[in-house]
Amino acid sequence: MGPAFSIEKVYRRSQDVVARDIQGEFILIPITSGIAEAQDEIFSLNETGRLIWERIDGKKNLKQISDGLKQDYSENSQDIEADVCGLTEELLKRKMVEEVTNN
Amino acid sequence: MQNGFVENISLPNFPLWDSLKEKKKVVSFDLEITSRCNNNCRHCYINLPAQDKKAKEKEIPLSFIENIADQALDLGALWCLITGGEPLLREDFTEIYLSLKRKGLLVSVFTNATLINSRHIELFKKYPPRDIEVTVYGVTRETYEQVSRVPGSFERFRRGLDLLLEAGIKVRFKAMALRSNAHELREISDFCRERTKDYFRFDPFLHLRYDRDPLRNEEIISERLAPRKIVEIEQADQQRFDGLKSGCDSLILPECEDKVCNHLFHCGSGNHSFAVSCEGFYRPCPSLWHPGCLFDLKQGSLDSAHNNFTPQVRQLRSDNQEFLEKCRRCTIINLCIWCPAHAYLETGFLDAHVKYFCEVANARKEMLGK
Repeated sequence: MGPAFSIEKVYRRSQDVVARDIQGEFILIPITSGIAEAQDEIFSLNETGRLIWERIDGKKNLKQISDGLKQDYSENSQDIEADVCGLTEELLKRKMVEEVTNN
Repeated sequence: MQNGFVENISLPNFPLWDSLKEKKKVVSFDLEITSRCNNNCRHCYINLPAQDKKAKEKEIPLSFIENIADQALDLGALWCLITGGEPLLREDFTEIYLSLKRKGLLVSVFTNATLINSRHIELFKKYPPRDIEVTVYGVTRETYEQVSRVPGSFERFRRGLDLLLEAGIKVRFKAMALRSNAHELREISDFCRERTKDYFRFDPFLHLRYDRDPLRNEEIISERLAPRKIVEIEQADQQRFDGLKSGCDSLILPECEDKVCNHLFHCGSGNHSFAVSCEGFYRPCPSLWHPGCLFDLKQGSLDSAHNNFTPQVRQLRSDNQEFLEKCRRCTIINLCIWCPAHAYLETGFLDAHVKYFCEVANARKEMLGK
């Protein structure tokens, strides 16, 4: 099992994934093995996913990212936190983001 | 906000293909990083000796390749094929490969596999290619080396291929059907299909040399199978024959007889893909070597090549009556390998009729019972 997931933790985008915007489609292309199951697989993020992905910067924790989004988008704050955590957990599972530890 | 943020998409189902094509965006490109090869295959249209110093000096450096790749990314490219010659001959192959991967391109490699070593395996395991396409010239030493003309090459091919397969690297196979290996084609086909679930194709159509070297062209012609033999092996390959048979109605077009169009290019050449030669020349299609269809990327941008130069090439027209009568109105043009690029390699003209192509197309038509 991987390390426990928490909204208080800081995560960063993996360097083993390249994000590209092609014709408005935001896709994540894994460059190392172990991310996509097959070499023929790429990942597409929807608009919400993209917004969150771009804010996972290795500096702000998920709570701060959610707060930032709440300020920019007048959405229900619980929904935003759920979205941020949901996506990050999904990306963590796929090794597309990693936890930033102090040591 | 909404849920369901990440969607896995297998490449064939990627929704972008259609929109990229609609917008005339680039999808893929071939990058020829050398014209040198450590084999000396009788039928090869490009190979120069591995030690050819002049050819080596002219090869585009990594920095140039990176610049082209960046420009290709700006145009939307998602997939790059590294090819040659034998691309593994480049001492900086690893750097080139990694650089393209790190830019977010899906990378395929064409190779004869003879130079594959444990370092390549480590590289491909860590940074998987979309696929590695290996050409199989024969499955016995005698036949393989009859084609490759390099003693010891069969053993190196087998070792390299085994390394790839044992490491679980995705390998696709291709075989060229030649006079020198025609007797072994069934065994080649079995060998390939046993080793991949994915993909195997054979090609009986040998292109002439891009440099139009007359002596090497004679060798290639001498390796070409007779039209009847091509048809025979196509018929023997159930998968291929079924494909031809099922596509029959779209391959034979009676309405062509009434066509008056004199455009040369009716294919998709240059619309969504292009090739870059190892000397830095852009071509709308990998087979297109006519000097008027080359764009020097050392002098101009890829954007200009794709968006300005290619449309000009695609506008080329013919006033050659023989071509217009025999080819442009031909009802079986889709069974023929005729295209302006191949016509140029055969004759020096983009709009010439090629007798051999015509004979093969008619033999295929007969095979299909049409």
